[in-house]
Formats: sequence, structure tokens, C-alpha cells
Amino acid sequence: MATPSRRSILATAATVGFGTVAGCLGDSGQSALTDETNPAGDVEPALTVDISETAGGSGPPVVDRTLPRDYEFGALVDAAQSGGPPQDGIPSIDSPSFNDADSPPAGLGEASPVFGVDIEGDVRAYPQYILVWHEIVNDIVGDESVAVTYCPLTGTAQGFYRGNVTFGVSGQLINSNLVMFDRATESWWPQMLAEGIQGPHENDTLEEFQIVWTTWERWKAEYPDTLVLNENTGAARNYGADPYGSYDPVNGYYEDDNTLFPPLQTDDRFPPKEVVIGTRNQDGASCINKDQLREERIIEGSLDGIGYTCVYDEALDTGYVYRNPDEVAVRTAGAEYEVDDSSYAADALPLPREIGYDAMWFAWFGYYPSTEVLA
Amino acid sequence: MSIASRTSGRLATYAGRTQAAIRLAASRRDSFGVFAGVTVGYLLIYLWAIQHLRIRRDVEAGIVWAAEPTTAMMRRTGPASWDTVALIDTGVVRLLFSPINTGIGFALAVLVGVSIALTYLALVQPRACGMGASSGFLAAIPALVGGSACCVPVVALVLGIQLTGTMMTMFAWALPVAVAMLVGSILYIGGKIDVNAVNAVG
Repeated sequence: MATPSRRSILATAATVGFGTVAGCLGDSGQSALTDETNPAGDVEPALTVDISETAGGSGPPVVDRTLPRDYEFGALVDAAQSGGPPQDGIPSIDSPSFNDADSPPAGLGEASPVFGVDIEGDVRAYPQYILVWHEIVNDIVGDESVAVTYCPLTGTAQGFYRGNVTFGVSGQLINSNLVMFDRATESWWPQMLAEGIQGPHENDTLEEFQIVWTTWERWKAEYPDTLVLNENTGAARNYGADPYGSYDPVNGYYEDDNTLFPPLQTDDRFPPKEVVIGTRNQDGASCINKDQLREERIIEGSLDGIGYTCVYDEALDTGYVYRNPDEVAVRTAGAEYEVDDSSYAADALPLPREIGYDAMWFAWFGYYPSTEVLA
Repeated sequence: MSIASRTSGRLATYAGRTQAAIRLAASRRDSFGVFAGVTVGYLLIYLWAIQHLRIRRDVEAGIVWAAEPTTAMMRRTGPASWDTVALIDTGVVRLLFSPINTGIGFALAVLVGVSIALTYLALVQPRACGMGASSGFLAAIPALVGGSACCVPVVALVLGIQLTGTMMTMFAWALPVAVAMLVGSILYIGGKIDVNAVNAVG
């Protein structure tokens, strides 16, 4: 796919035509026209990814992995409802373009949320304000074909290995959550579940990788050489105007207690939009309250008799979940953590780390009503 | 005479009177002004309702085309909406241009313009037109809802409601229902206008 072409407007036509429109809207300001047209800027991209070589195949790679299932898949398919747009009506980004950290897209504020990825030292940031219009980026990071996905209605950003196929937005929602489809077999893959629930890949499980939900300011401080996705997405969108609200400051859908679609199940232990960090594996589903983790820095608990330890990473304002079957003692040591008299960064404890992701409480509980809340 | 032929005869009468009323509205400066103003105004409101028109003073003037404009133009983004092919910034307003959505909006705006212009004529004619005077305005509202069907979650967010499958289906039908209501209101109002009486006053 080609990158978007850009052209300047004929000044006369624009001045007459849009000056009239502006007048009708009661705003008389008019700035001089320039040749440069995109707030993403006039900056030469540091990288534009061509994923065409990886297109095709018979479906995404799947892994032998046991995840908790609180519903029959048929019931989930029955619970699917249209979110409005048809399949691919929300276009995924299939030719992502990136800038260097020192020339980020103009719409990216210091406190704007980004979804950070580090695969084999290839570090990238995907701004929430761009992904809210696309929900899926089919990319190649660290020589791995991956999909970086985001669902605005459940506040979930998750990464999947996609092999030789690309993912798209099906237009269906289950439990308010994005239902992806793979373009090879059109199987349905609800994002939060990471499992195929309909089509040739029913009962298959995707391989995931960790995505960090943080802010641009924190991410670039931690990874100064990061690349950042720019607005050259191939689509014309009103970037900078989130249709659901704002995260900086938090308002609209992201703040209130209303859900747009009925959750599968509800629970009032937390407000519906409270952010939890959820983990699911062969032991079951568990979550921790992110605010509580910020305050306490270490939260320990057990799931199906197995110990778990969650630690807070202040630099990125995120948390990591470790399986801790031997219940090894973990203590704070400055900004780091002490295990067996040695200090470790929050993301590098000598314990098996589980994939975890931020989610709104209503969405997590809706999909995993059997969840343990570690506290 | 059968019911069918009587209905058909009445429709023909209404259509004939409506045609004459539209010709009259087009020939008079005041009613044509109403038509033009309403058409332009409604189109702008429609584009705003479907989020294609916004005040954006924070971005420089310019235009960005979609990577594949023809493909984008034909890509459906909702039950009655299609994708945008260009992002046009003036430094004041931002217009997301979709040829099909704009065409739909323009067609609706013309229908609303005609409806309101006829309502205007009905009001200035000697005899009051009763319900006919307001039906043109009422018919215009579902058209806006229909247009925004592409952005149903956003509409629900504004209204603070939770969406069900039934409601999504209703949104999908809003646009054709709006068109039917607009055409119906034009025939209804046009059929009530006595062209000769209006001419006598005008």
C-alpha cells in the first residue's frame, strides 16, 4: 500500500470556499495556507513498514496454551453485536510509518497515552490518539510479524504474533470488546480472549507479547531511541479528536460509569471503568487494581493455590505480573526490587513473567467472572 | 371507483399541486432564499452530525488524500456511510471529504430545503396550513439520525444510553425512513398549497 499523497490547496479556492464555511460556523479566523498539509508533519518518516511480503497464508500462528474459559464459544458468538461499522469499516493500519522520538507527530502530547512495544530491542510507541481510529496496526517489529491492537471501549491494548496474515476489525463487539478477524480464514478472535471462537481457527489460541500502556513522556524517557507511529496511516481521519472522550485529562466515556453495550456480567467491587491489570493462564484469571498497585508497589496473592507477585514500575507507570509458585520473597529496593539479596528492575525479576494488560474492570469481569482479585 | 384508483387519483392530484408549488417556490425570491439557506445550513449540520466537519484551529491549512482514494470512497463505514477520501484543513475548519456521504447529505438537504420552502409558502398563504407547517421540520430530524448511524456509539455516548441489537437495527433504518418522511411531507405540504392564493398575496 502506498503512503498518503499530499498536495497543497489552491489558495484562492480554499480561501473562498472554506472561508464561507467558517463564516457559517461563526468563526472568522483564517490562517495563511502553506504547502505543508499534515499535522504529522513535514518530517521525513524514519521508517515505513511494507507488510505485503508477509500477507497470505492459512491463518495466524497458534500456540498450545490453556486459558480459562468462562463461557461456551457459541454463547459468545450469540452475544456478538454490531458496533455500527461493517467488517473493515474501521480500517487497520497496514503500512505503518514511524518518526524518530525527537520529531513525534504534532498531535502527541507529553501526557498522551502510548502503547509501548520492545521486541528484540526494536522499540516502538503507538499513540492511543491514532489507534482509536484504527484499533489494529499490522506491523513488523524486531523481524517479527505482529499486530498491535487497541479497543477503546474496554481500554485494552494487546499484542499478537500474526505470522503471514493480517488482522482486521470485524465490526462486531462482544462484551464491548473488539472482535478481530484474520484475513486468511476470517475466523473471529475477540481481542481480550486471544482465542478463536468461530471459523476454521475455533479453539485455537494466539501467541501474545507484552504491551506497556504508558505516556509518551515516560516512554521516551525510558527509550530515547524509540520510534513513534505517525499520522501517515493511509486513511483520512480527524486525528486529535477522540470520538469517545479524552485521556488527557480523563473525561467522556473513559471517565463515566456508563457502558455503551451491556456487559456479559457485572460486579460492583470496583467502578466499571476502574483500571485493572489482568492476567490469565493455566491457573485461571486474576487481576489487580492498578491504583492499589501504585500505592503499595507490591501485591501478592494466589490463584488456584499458586503464588503470584505483582510489582509496580514507576518509570512507566505500569505493573508486571509474575508467577511465584515457590513464594519467593520480593521486597522493594529503591526504585527496584530485591530478590535473594539481589536487585532487579520491575520488569526483570528472576521469576516467570506472565502477559498482563490494562483493562476496564467491567470488561475484565464480563469476560472472566471467575477472576480472582489479588489484593 | 376502487380504493386503489381513488388513492392513485389523490396522489396524482397531490403530486400535481406539489409540482406547481415547487415551481412557485423556485420563482419567488423569498421562498427560493428560504430553500437555499436551509439547504446549505442543513448540509453543514449534517456534515457536523456525521463528524465530517469540525472547528480545528490547531492544525495548519492543507489537504491530505487517503492512500487509495477510490478504494476508500467505496468502503462502507456504517449502514449508510462511506469512508473519507481527503482531509481538508483551512486553519479554521477541518472537513473530512467523502463523496458519497456528501452526496447523501446534499440530497437530504435539498429535500429538507424544498420541504421548508413549501412550509414557508403554506404559512404565507391566506389560509393556515395546520400540521403541514411543522411536518417539514419534524421530517428533517430522522435524516440527521440516519446520517449519524455510522457513529452510533458516539450518538449513544452523547445521549447516555446503552445500545442493544434492536436499537442498532433501528439506526440502520433511520436514513431510508427519513427520506420517506421527507418525500411524504413535501407531498403533504405541497398538496395543501393553493398556488393561485399565494400568488394573489405575493
